[in-house]
Amino acid sequence: MSTNRTNAASWLRGTTIRKGTTTPATRSHTPQTQTSSSIVFSGGVKDGSGRTSEYFSMDDQCPVCKSDRYLNPKLRLLVSSCYHKMCESCIDRLYTLGPAPCPVCGKTLKKMTFIPQTFEDLVVEKEVAIRRKLAKEFNKRREDFPDLRSYDDYLQEVEDITFNLINEIDIPETQARIAAYRKENAAFIELNQQREEAYVQALKEQEEAERRERQLRAEEIRRAEEEERDAREGERRALIDNLENSDADAARLVAQARAEALKRAAARTAAAHQAVFAQQQETMRLRAAQSAVVVPDQPHVPLLDGYYAYEDLCGLRSSYFDPASDAVRRDKEGIMRAGGYRVEEAWERALRYAVAGLDITPPLGEVSMPLPITSRVDADVAMASV
Amino acid sequence: MDAVEKANAERQRRWVKDQKVGEGTYAVVYRGRELATGRKIAIKKIKVGQFKDGLDMSAVREVKYLRELQHPNIIELLDVFSSKTNLNLVLEFLDTDLEMIIKDRSLVFLPADIKSWMAMTFRGLEFCHRNFILHRDLKPNNLLIASDGQLKIADFGLARDAADPGYKMTCQVITRWYRPPELLFGCRYYSTAVDIWSVGCIFAELMLRIPYLPGESDMDQLKTIFRALGTPTDEEWPGHTKLPDYVSVGQFPRTPLRDLFTAASGDTLNLLSKCIIFEPRKRISARDALYHPYFFALPYPTHPSKLPKTAAQTAAASRPPDEVDGNVDPGGGAPAGVGKAAPPKKLKRKLSGHDLSRNIARKLDFTAS
Ligand SMILES: Nc1ncnc2c1ncn2[C@@H]1O[C@H](COP(=O)(O)OP(=O)(O)O)[C@@H](O)[C@H]1O
Ligand SMILES: [Mg+2]
Ligand SMILES: [Zn+2]
Ligand SMILES: [Zn+2]
Repeated sequence: MSTNRTNAASWLRGTTIRKGTTTPATRSHTPQTQTSSSIVFSGGVKDGSGRTSEYFSMDDQCPVCKSDRYLNPKLRLLVSSCYHKMCESCIDRLYTLGPAPCPVCGKTLKKMTFIPQTFEDLVVEKEVAIRRKLAKEFNKRREDFPDLRSYDDYLQEVEDITFNLINEIDIPETQARIAAYRKENAAFIELNQQREEAYVQALKEQEEAERRERQLRAEEIRRAEEEERDAREGERRALIDNLENSDADAARLVAQARAEALKRAAARTAAAHQAVFAQQQETMRLRAAQSAVVVPDQPHVPLLDGYYAYEDLCGLRSSYFDPASDAVRRDKEGIMRAGGYRVEEAWERALRYAVAGLDITPPLGEVSMPLPITSRVDADVAMASV
Repeated sequence: MDAVEKANAERQRRWVKDQKVGEGTYAVVYRGRELATGRKIAIKKIKVGQFKDGLDMSAVREVKYLRELQHPNIIELLDVFSSKTNLNLVLEFLDTDLEMIIKDRSLVFLPADIKSWMAMTFRGLEFCHRNFILHRDLKPNNLLIASDGQLKIADFGLARDAADPGYKMTCQVITRWYRPPELLFGCRYYSTAVDIWSVGCIFAELMLRIPYLPGESDMDQLKTIFRALGTPTDEEWPGHTKLPDYVSVGQFPRTPLRDLFTAASGDTLNLLSKCIIFEPRKRISARDALYHPYFFALPYPTHPSKLPKTAAQTAAASRPPDEVDGNVDPGGGAPAGVGKAAPPKKLKRKLSGHDLSRNIARKLDFTAS
């Protein structure tokens, strides 16, 4: 049994698992993990921005040296390949000189194989690690199967293997199953890995293209603004020259220059519009080319929920006895009407609040009693009391 | 420490505050993270106690409405806790807002992009209005954009329930450039139509890339509106001359929208014109807007993930994608109808005490007003 245990652990702990790309720069975003150790421990589960988020609690205590967060605010616990926790200074102390046994279970450990803890529960930590590792090769998709049935069987097989590895049951046999799958499906695995890479690559290229496009456009705007400034400056100088060297009426000259300037400005605006249009065309082409790999646009769907699909259990009358709304009905000047206020809206709201949820079974199981409201209720709500 | 303080301290410990990212009229917004998962969040710290009654009404409103509204196009309120004299709202973190995108001159907007933003805005607004809530401060700066491109209506500091009959509402709401004429005329009884006017102004701004009606004072705002749309006649807008603050700011002729929006399609201008009708009762509703032919005509609205992004957003997104090597689900996404091999529950990261009761629809709320 103990050899099985070691096998499972070493299989799990293959080099790929520590694919963490966490650099010291990103680490500084998580201040409580400032490491006191000479090596940066990476790995663990990453969040959406690619950062590792470590599990952290005020109750943390090193099981080996018993120091806790109150004694040492910088305490950082890491997890060994046998899923035992200890603090960075214990790791430094025990493993700097080379491989040594785990103080808890005796398994031989190396300093480099400790990883940060992501989950509070180390069983979960282990399960996630196993699933990540498995998912690299068990990467078939629904499309890879002729029917749902065989896809189901495949998922079941993956679950069985996962279960065995987590609980360290029948390790040699399970390893054999993995090896058999790997051999049988080499082509599929390769293909799906390529698909995944292609997708990531496409995303990267799209971003790069967008960045380039933005840069180009910014440059163009700068150039256009410069040209415009030069043109205006030229016009101004021409006018001054003209005024100096001509006997014509100054007012007429100014008016003439202004008219010409306006005409040129209009021409520039038209050219700018043309440029914007051309740019939109270009952007459209670019995005069309990309949308084949990324996400296609979908036709418009007005509302995404079925709110209006339900039949109302009650209807609104054309009028209610409602002393509170007298002010509105006496609105002789039409002030409320002019502001868009509708008393019907207030009635509808009051009615909805009054009847909403009547046919929803109350959440407490035993005491609940379905309410016999299935037909329309002619609700007569005294508005004044709402 | 009594039980309430203890519960509060516990909630507070779930969140870590990092650097400041924005400042509004009554709050400072910080970036932060959820301790247990590292998920990015925003903490909106509202200073209370600076107002006479202790708790600022805006803060109360914002909490009240955000707690009740759950929709993909409305910002999600994750938690609320207090610290010293501050009230802290924990919100989902959003990378940017529509104002920054409009102002980024290096971005090209396609007509389909504008359609996509408008559809998301109207969907979020329809949800507010369906629940009888007026937002009353719609502007590009309060439409935040998530990393997946989803637009979310934020800043419910001025929101309120549609009023009961006979109750006055303040007309000092909505940032001037987006404020409808009935509010500029001091009307105290108004409706959801005030938000539609604001959306119309945003729609126009998306096409023009500059604010559509930038008045310099409240008076100038009316002039700016009438200069663009013509001074309304009593026939066009019955009763408006009787409104409390009515003033005549001069007669301006009506110029066709086409003159300014040279490149827009007929459908586009039709929807825009229906958002900025003078008579509030004739203005289109958010729900009807979503069924307007503009949205069904080609091109399809751009998929949110492909909408133009600011440089900051692209930088945030180009960090290594989440878990390329850590796909926990070996099936590559849980396939529908395959219940047999569902991963065990404990695999989910601990989201300590996620408040499930919040998912119960507003419709069940009997305590409201
Ligand atoms: N959830 C969020 N994520 C990221 N930034 C935010 C978030 N909420 C607000 N901000 C930033 O803070 C600014 C002010 O927030 P806002 O809610 O509009 O406050 P105010 O009501 O005081 O105007 C916003 O313009 C935005 O830049
Ligand atoms: Mg704001
Ligand atoms: Zn220790
Ligand atoms: Zn051990």
